[in-house]
Amino acid sequence: MISLDGLTKRYGDRTAVDDLSLELRPGTVTGFLGPNGAGKSTTMRLVLGLDRPSAGTALIGGLPYHRIRNPLRTVGALLDARAPHPGRSGRAHLTALARSNGIPVRRVAEVLESVGMAGAAGRRAGALSLGMNQRLGIAAALLGDPEVLLFDEPVNGLDPDGVRWVRQLMRSLAAEGRTVFVSSHLMSEMQLTADHLVVIGKGRLIADAPLAEVIGRSSLTAVLARTPHAGELAERLRAAGIAAERVAENEVVATGAPVERVGDLAHEAGIRLHGLRAREASLEQAYQELTESSVEYGTTGAGA
Amino acid sequence: MTSTLWRAAWAEWGKLWSVRSTWWCLAGAAALMVLTAVTLAAAAATDAVRDGAPGVRVTASESVVSATSFVQFALVALAMLAITAEYSSGGIRVTLLATPVRGLVLAAKALVVAPVMFAAGVLSGAVATAAVYLVLQADAFGGVVVLPFGEVVRDVAGAGAFFALVSVMTLGVGAAMRSAAGTLTVVFMLLLGLPLVLLMTGSQAALDASLRMPTFAGLAFMGSVDNLTGGPVPYPAGEGLAWLLAWTAAALAAGYTVLRRRDA
Repeated sequence: MISLDGLTKRYGDRTAVDDLSLELRPGTVTGFLGPNGAGKSTTMRLVLGLDRPSAGTALIGGLPYHRIRNPLRTVGALLDARAPHPGRSGRAHLTALARSNGIPVRRVAEVLESVGMAGAAGRRAGALSLGMNQRLGIAAALLGDPEVLLFDEPVNGLDPDGVRWVRQLMRSLAAEGRTVFVSSHLMSEMQLTADHLVVIGKGRLIADAPLAEVIGRSSLTAVLARTPHAGELAERLRAAGIAAERVAENEVVATGAPVERVGDLAHEAGIRLHGLRAREASLEQAYQELTESSVEYGTTGAGA
Repeated sequence: MTSTLWRAAWAEWGKLWSVRSTWWCLAGAAALMVLTAVTLAAAAATDAVRDGAPGVRVTASESVVSATSFVQFALVALAMLAITAEYSSGGIRVTLLATPVRGLVLAAKALVVAPVMFAAGVLSGAVATAAVYLVLQADAFGGVVVLPFGEVVRDVAGAGAFFALVSVMTLGVGAAMRSAAGTLTVVFMLLLGLPLVLLMTGSQAALDASLRMPTFAGLAFMGSVDNLTGGPVPYPAGEGLAWLLAWTAAALAAGYTVLRRRDA
């Protein structure tokens, strides 16, 4: 539903988003990761037509944002947790948005209820906490019952209950077949929420792959085998094209192969195993490896 | 396109009335209008009685027209906030997400601001005219204040139209400047600073230019005898309106260009 093609944004001689091409599919939560200043928010603003791209296109359902009629009914977005107008109540804010896009005004009460703000709907936004403003922003994104949702750091300022609520909300929106694009710094949260990951560094695409694949590619995702014949097993695995290393007297670490294959190879060679288990990298570890290499690319000037 | 515009305007209408600053600015403008009009009318009546020939009359709504030069600033503040408050809070991004066509955003705001300011001018002008008449018809002021219906309607409607145009002009400047400080500076210079500086230079070209800036163009349009220049603005009301419209159009064009070109 969202497709970027060669999307580029330059500010003077600084390139914030560099030739980004990707496609976001409906029915999945796509996590958007990258270090601070990597260009995540800029990318979202480009998709939403708030910034003009220097080159390339960002289309939603085949159209640039400004060509979508009543866009709030197609695209919902949460950009930052700042109050829309500190003197205006959440209800008045949402009512204005509903009117502008021909959304029935009863939706205002519905979304306020669904984000748990029914009781604070009449309070001036400036008097709301950061977390409450975040909920109000999410309510605004949901107002038009949109097919495509973009959330920039949605859990900022939320308490643990709120964080869990956002996670469930993202999952259920994707389960309803919507396209959900979420940026976050919280890797543990992303690991629980996202199906697919887009990682950028210095405005360039580093990874665009399913979550499982990103974690699987990490060097820290490995199979650990305990055996009295560690040296022999390591050789056997290497002969089968698997990176394997004897890390202790009776322990081998193999990467790039599933636990079943390591077990089968050991069995075929008649090597006794005392233990065999898969170790999975956390998303945080996988992410760190990815972005560290992106820093290298950046300094050597090679393409990512 | 049209339905989108009306929806956007309907949203802007709600936004305008859901913040307190709107009510404060309107109340301030109304109070300022009554106070200034009564004061100016009292001075005019006193002068008329002192130097005037017998039978001289002061129209109650005349001072409303003169008062617009001062009252406009309370309304300029309101028109300015309709756009600069969105930039200071970041709400402009939400507005542009709802209405991504930049021209429609500006048009919707103008569609709301103009009639509200017109009504503010007409209502505050009518109240001020009534106040002038009630206060100054007493013998102490010579009983020279009169209330000719046609002229009063013309003056009061003129004040409303002037406020509407100056406010839409401010909206354009606000969209171009984005910040309240920048907008106030530019609008103040256009309405008061620059015309006064030009008058003080004493050259004829500067005087001509000054008289075609919005404040004097407005006084010409409203048919006022202007005190600052020591005489009536030397061109007809229609030309005054034309100059006002030109300033408003120029400001809107500048605002639209910035809104279209710059990232939100």
